[in-house]
Amino acid sequence: MTGARAALFVRRELAAALHARWFIVYAALFLIAGVLLTAFGMGNTMVYGYRGFAKAFAGLVHLALFLVPLMALFPSAASIADERESGVLEYLLAQPVSFGEVYAGKWGGINVAMVLALTIGFGAAGAVAVLRGVPLALVTIAYGFVLLLALAFVAVGLLLSSLAASRARALTFGVVLWFLLIALGTLGLMVVSIRWGMPQRALMVWTFVNPIEAFRIGVMSVLDPDLSLLGPIGVGLVERLGSTGTAVLAALSLVVWSVVPGLIGLRLFRSRV
Amino acid sequence: MIRARGLAKQYGGVAVLRGLDLNVRAGERVAVLGLNGAGKTTLIRCLLGLTEFAGELDVAGHDVRTSGLAARRAIGYVPQRPPHFDGTLRDIVAFFCRLRGLDAAAVHAQLEELGLAVTEHGDKHVRTLSGGMLQKTLLGLALGAQVDVLLLDEPTANLDAPARREFLRALRSTAADRTVLLATHRLADVEAVADRLLVLHEGRIAFAGRMRELWDAVGADVTLWIQVPPDRRGDVERHVAAQYATTTVLRNGSAFGVKIERTRRVDLLGELRTSGVTVEDFWTEAPSLHDLMDQLLATRPAGPEDRAE
Repeated sequence: MTGARAALFVRRELAAALHARWFIVYAALFLIAGVLLTAFGMGNTMVYGYRGFAKAFAGLVHLALFLVPLMALFPSAASIADERESGVLEYLLAQPVSFGEVYAGKWGGINVAMVLALTIGFGAAGAVAVLRGVPLALVTIAYGFVLLLALAFVAVGLLLSSLAASRARALTFGVVLWFLLIALGTLGLMVVSIRWGMPQRALMVWTFVNPIEAFRIGVMSVLDPDLSLLGPIGVGLVERLGSTGTAVLAALSLVVWSVVPGLIGLRLFRSRV
Repeated sequence: MIRARGLAKQYGGVAVLRGLDLNVRAGERVAVLGLNGAGKTTLIRCLLGLTEFAGELDVAGHDVRTSGLAARRAIGYVPQRPPHFDGTLRDIVAFFCRLRGLDAAAVHAQLEELGLAVTEHGDKHVRTLSGGMLQKTLLGLALGAQVDVLLLDEPTANLDAPARREFLRALRSTAADRTVLLATHRLADVEAVADRLLVLHEGRIAFAGRMRELWDAVGADVTLWIQVPPDRRGDVERHVAAQYATTTVLRNGSAFGVKIERTRRVDLLGELRTSGVTVEDFWTEAPSLHDLMDQLLATRPAGPEDRAE
């Protein structure tokens, strides 16, 4: 694989993203919702100090938790399936390029576009938060987790796009997966735990296996070091791993999610052109 | 330039190519003819390295399996349906020039030769171009890349008659020195472009040779349409029935269609003139590919003929 050809595909994907409506809509949506939530959500909490803005900033984190996976899934799940349907993929692969170069270009291009969109959206909300007294380091760490969450779902989207026979199926798989991961978040698992007696240890493992939960736990362990906002699971995690250990493990989980599905997608991509 | 030995491909346990041997020499223009599902597109996908296969396959001396990039560097490809690119003609040409390391001016000159001046059409979104213009764009990109081999997968299948004629004319005039492999199900495309013909049927080569040799081999009947004055139709029908008892007489308005051996067309027209019938007009209709395949398979000796040298 030559870097020059892969870079050409990255630029192509980035140009397509900048030209597409999704990029502008997502950046604008995140920017407006994030700024509003941060500005008004923190209005009455500053008097409570650190814990107060943590609760308010948690609103932004939960916005990211719902919105960022979808933002990442839509363009990535559509990318390969769409070009497969339109005949563009076959024509590209009929050129002197490797499957890996085309795939890496798509992966890299969508990642760069997502980072740009989130930097605009989250950056503005984060700037408001910093102006209102939230430490820059905390906003930066939260921004890092948001990026990792986006990269994880870009990789998942590419896997689905390689797997699905059509764009519509890839998008459907993406939305169903997103819904399941949200539904099987802490709240859903607590219901399962109470109803069928799932052990707390299994709940903790699941917290790191589910990328949405890993993101939530990771960010909250920085904003609210005793994780009391997350109830008994949060407290249990802090007792076993400490808040830093919890954050690091959550970040590691997201890094794995950002890489492994993408690599599986590459393998499928080679066999499903 | 193209060499296959024992080329085989299965999809889900169904054999699509069944051990083809194939040799296409440099500069040769070969048509691969076959009905839908015969294996034409699969053969091209194998040549492009887009699918895994069994057997050996080389393009321009490069093993497709182990040196796919080098093999594809020697190939220009025109698919059946033009890809739905997003961008202007200028953007698309610029991207593929960068991808293949081509001199953009040379590609622009090639496109201009095909009637697609980038100065005139460059700012048009490619989705606003006609199917014929898109196919010529892809042909121009392939020729501009100075490739040795042109692979064309039913490039005229979705074009109307004028666009088809224009594309074939452009192909003949610009690709004279290239090795061409044209997959098609149109006999007219074969006659317009190819020096040699391979007929694929169910993943095997059912015939390899020149078009004339195919006609000779199958003795395919053509339909001779004759238009005569209304008061002489009865005479013509009786003559055809008496002299060409085994042929089929068709009617289409004022014209008669007689299925007849290709070589006997002139005989019939001569006989009608001798008997005093004024032939106002006549034309010949080639057999359909289905008819040709039926006759070819009926006359073909038992056992596969999978070598095409």
